This record gives sequence, structure tokens and C-alpha cells, in this order.
Amino acid sequence: MTDFKKDFPILEKEIYGKKLVYLDNAATSQKPGYVIDTISEFYRSDNGNIHRGIHYLSEVSSEKYEKAREKVSDFIGARDPAEVTFTAGTTDSINQVACSLEPVLKGNEVLITGVEHHSNIVPWQLAGAKLRAIPIDDDCNLLTDSIEITDKTKLIAISHVSNVLGSVNPIKEITGIAKDHDIPVLVDAAQSIQHLPIDVKDIGCDFLAFSGHKMYAATGVGVLYTSERFSDIMPARGGGGMVDKVTLERTTYLDPPLRYEAGTPHIAGAISVAAAIDYMQSLGMDKIRKHEHDIYSYAREKLLEADGVTIYGNTEEMCGSISFNLDNIHQYDTGMILDKMGIAVRTGHHCAQPLMRSLGTEGTVRASFALYNTKEDADMLIEGIQKVRMMYA
Amino acid sequence: MRDAVQDDIIKQFDGLDWLDKYGLLISFAKELEPMDDKFRTEENSISGCQSKVWIRTYTKDGKMIINLDSDAMITRGIISLLLKVVNNRSPQDIADLDLYFIEEIGLKSNLSPARADGLASIIKRIREVARREAN
Repeated sequence: MTDFKKDFPILEKEIYGKKLVYLDNAATSQKPGYVIDTISEFYRSDNGNIHRGIHYLSEVSSEKYEKAREKVSDFIGARDPAEVTFTAGTTDSINQVACSLEPVLKGNEVLITGVEHHSNIVPWQLAGAKLRAIPIDDDCNLLTDSIEITDKTKLIAISHVSNVLGSVNPIKEITGIAKDHDIPVLVDAAQSIQHLPIDVKDIGCDFLAFSGHKMYAATGVGVLYTSERFSDIMPARGGGGMVDKVTLERTTYLDPPLRYEAGTPHIAGAISVAAAIDYMQSLGMDKIRKHEHDIYSYAREKLLEADGVTIYGNTEEMCGSISFNLDNIHQYDTGMILDKMGIAVRTGHHCAQPLMRSLGTEGTVRASFALYNTKEDADMLIEGIQKVRMMYA
Repeated sequence: MRDAVQDDIIKQFDGLDWLDKYGLLISFAKELEPMDDKFRTEENSISGCQSKVWIRTYTKDGKMIINLDSDAMITRGIISLLLKVVNNRSPQDIADLDLYFIEEIGLKSNLSPARADGLASIIKRIREVARREAN
């Protein structure tokens, strides 16, 4: 029995007099005491602005911040820490790429998939690109055979793992196709960084985006990996800390990564990402993955066995989220009763309205798992579902 | 000012645990007359995040008649209570009505603007129509 729950103070909480069963991890994960203490310790003893001051605290903060960058760089297999930029989150990372590439994307086309989150749809539309989606079959597998690249296709932007279904997309197959046509690929790793091994060199992507808060770190911080091949793209934001020389006529910029970090970044947030990586590595990434795989498979099996439950998506590899609906019960009604039993799930369209249309539903109930979830949590969910069915019978 | 209909609702919810409160809401939902499909139009819908809500209002003999429906049962339950309180009053009465029962039966969190059942939007819409009719 692997019990990681004890590391997460909030999981001891009772909700409406019931023990909390937290299954909304795809929205945000809870934080281990180690990460909380690291953030607190930073503000208690190290806080200074980075890369500017000559004083002691500024130097300590700068060093911790840059160490965090190195940690992230190693964690995702980047060639150099300069390829790692701290952002405000996955959405911000993708928006920054869209903004930087706007001159190329405007009037052209971005190829996405049929399972994307709005944050991998709307930024490209704002940049003036047209979208085409790789279609999905009834089980929500990407139909990669039908990928069509045209002269107008300037970028492929795909999620690694669907935030709704938990389906793992064949990203290496897609980067292979992209390479044949010399088209850059952005991978949205918001739902995979906490579950699957990520090596950007192996994946062969040019951009990779993820958030800190879904991987046990603080909210408001994220990462954008930009391969050295794109180290000269224009920054999406301007301001302090990213410039070489500024005159009223012309400005020159620092080299990456500082070029892409205008203004004071979320220093404590970046340090919390490194702390979260330390925490996960201290447990052992393989051990976490095995545990998560066991719990996910167990929960899915139990849901498949349950009466009157429709599960969405069935791909070869899956992790994180399971989306389902109970027959003739609105997902909101299911979620509200589960909440009153202390079980936190998410209901609705999960910021993936095009996918909902493909699935032929207004929304789903989503249970999403993290390293601290247990078979008991899955059993509580099943028990909760039975209670919901009884209440609406 | 206390209102007999609301006080009666509060009494029914008094002392129940959370699950029983929602059980009671579901039984109120089942009492609500469904709205005819022809009125469930985009025009009559109140946008919320998760459940759909439709509203239809008209006045008859100086009283405001309100029809509401939703595709989610919990929302229907809340709507059903709301209609017990607001229906068959004059527009001015409705515009001035203090809906204290929502807080007192513990559904106040449902009133936050981002809340999925859109209760805040429903009440806002009813008050807007009532004020317009009252003038």
C-alpha cells in the first residue's frame, strides 16, 4: 500500500462532515507540505527581486530561481536551461507562442486535434490563424492517417493528454509527420507533465507548455520550453529585465531565456515548481507512475462495471482523467450530490466545447486522479454514484 | 419583512443534513410543471455555465406569472421553490421582495455569479422584468 496522502495537509480536511475525496486533479492538484514550506520559507528568509540587485537577498533569490530553471530543464530533457522560460501557466505559455508567431500564423493555418482545451484553440484564433483539427474516431483515437498538411499549415499544436478523456495522444507520430514537412510542433503538456515521462528531445517538439499548479506546485506559474531552433523569435511581452539597450528609437533584447521574461516573474512560483519536482523525484517517478496506473485502471474498471454509466474515450494509453455520465441524470446533478458526500469532481464542458459536440453531450462528470489517490477513493466514487442514482430514481 | 411562504420553506429545510436538503430539493423538482418544448427557445434561455434554464413571463389580472424550467434537477428544485415565493404577486411586490429563504436554507453559495445553476442570473432576470412591468 502506497500512502502519499499523509504528505498533503489539505487531504485531512472534512467537507460537510465527510472525509474529503479529491478527484479534481486535472483542474488543480493539492500541494505537499514540502512545497508549501518551500514557498513559505522563500518569503520568510530569501525574498528579493532577481537579476537586478547587488544585495544579498537579490543574489540568493536569483540563484534559487536559476536553479529552479535548471531543475525544470533536466526534468523535461531540454538541451540547455536557456530553453526554459517561466510563464504564468499553460494558457499564458501558449498565448506567448501565438503572439510571437503571429506574423507567420496570420492568414495561415494551425493544425490542432479534435480533443483540445480552449487554451489550445483561442490563442491561435486571436493570432489570426485558421484552425483545422485532426479528427477522432468513436473511441476518441486521433485519426493520424487523415492528417493533411498544406502550404498554409505553419504550426501543429496538440495536447499530450486530453483534459477531458485522459486519452494519451500519439505525439511522437505527429512530430514525425511534422518533421517531414519541416513544421514546428507545440505540445500542451498540462495534463501529462504530472503523469508521464517527458523528454522534449525524444518527443521532438519545438514548444512545450505546462502549469505548475497541476503538478503539485503553486498557481500562477508555468513553463514554456522553446527549442534552441526558435531562440530568436520575438518576445511576446516587453518591459524590464529582458532588454540589452533601450533608446526611444530602438531596443535590443537579452538572449533567451531572460528575453522572454519581461517584468518581475513569479519567483516563489518558479521555486515551488522545482520543489514539486524534488518531491516527486524523492518518491520515485516510476513508483508514482505505477501507483497512478493501478488506481486509474481500477477506477475505470469499476466505472465500466457500474450500471447506467457511460464512459467517454477508450484509447490504448490513458491517464489522469475519466469522463462519464450517468444515464438520464444531468452531470451537474451528479456533481452536486457527490460534493455533498465530500467527493470533489468537475462537471461541465471542461473548456472543450468542440470535443463535447463530437461526443454529442453538453457536458460530462470528470474524475481525475493524482499520485495521492487510492483505491478507496475510487470505491468512494462508485459508492457516491450509486447514491446519486438512488436519489434521482 | 417576514413572508409566510418563505418561512414555510425554511421550516421544511430546518435541521436536515446536506444530503437530505438536496433530497428535498429533488422532490420539489419533481413537482414542477415542465415547460412546453415550444417555449424552451434560445430567446427564453438564461445563460449559465452548466445547466440550461428557460424563463417565460406574462401578466394576468395585474399579477406576474412566471414559468421557469431547467434540464438539471437540482436547478429545477431551486426554481420550484423560487416560483412558490414569487408567483402570483404584483410586479412591484416582486421587485421589492427580499428573497431571504435562499440564505436561510443554506443555498447562498448557489447565488455567487459564477455558480453553475445560474440562480443569481435567474433572480436578476425576474427582478428586471418585474421592474419593467411595474413602471
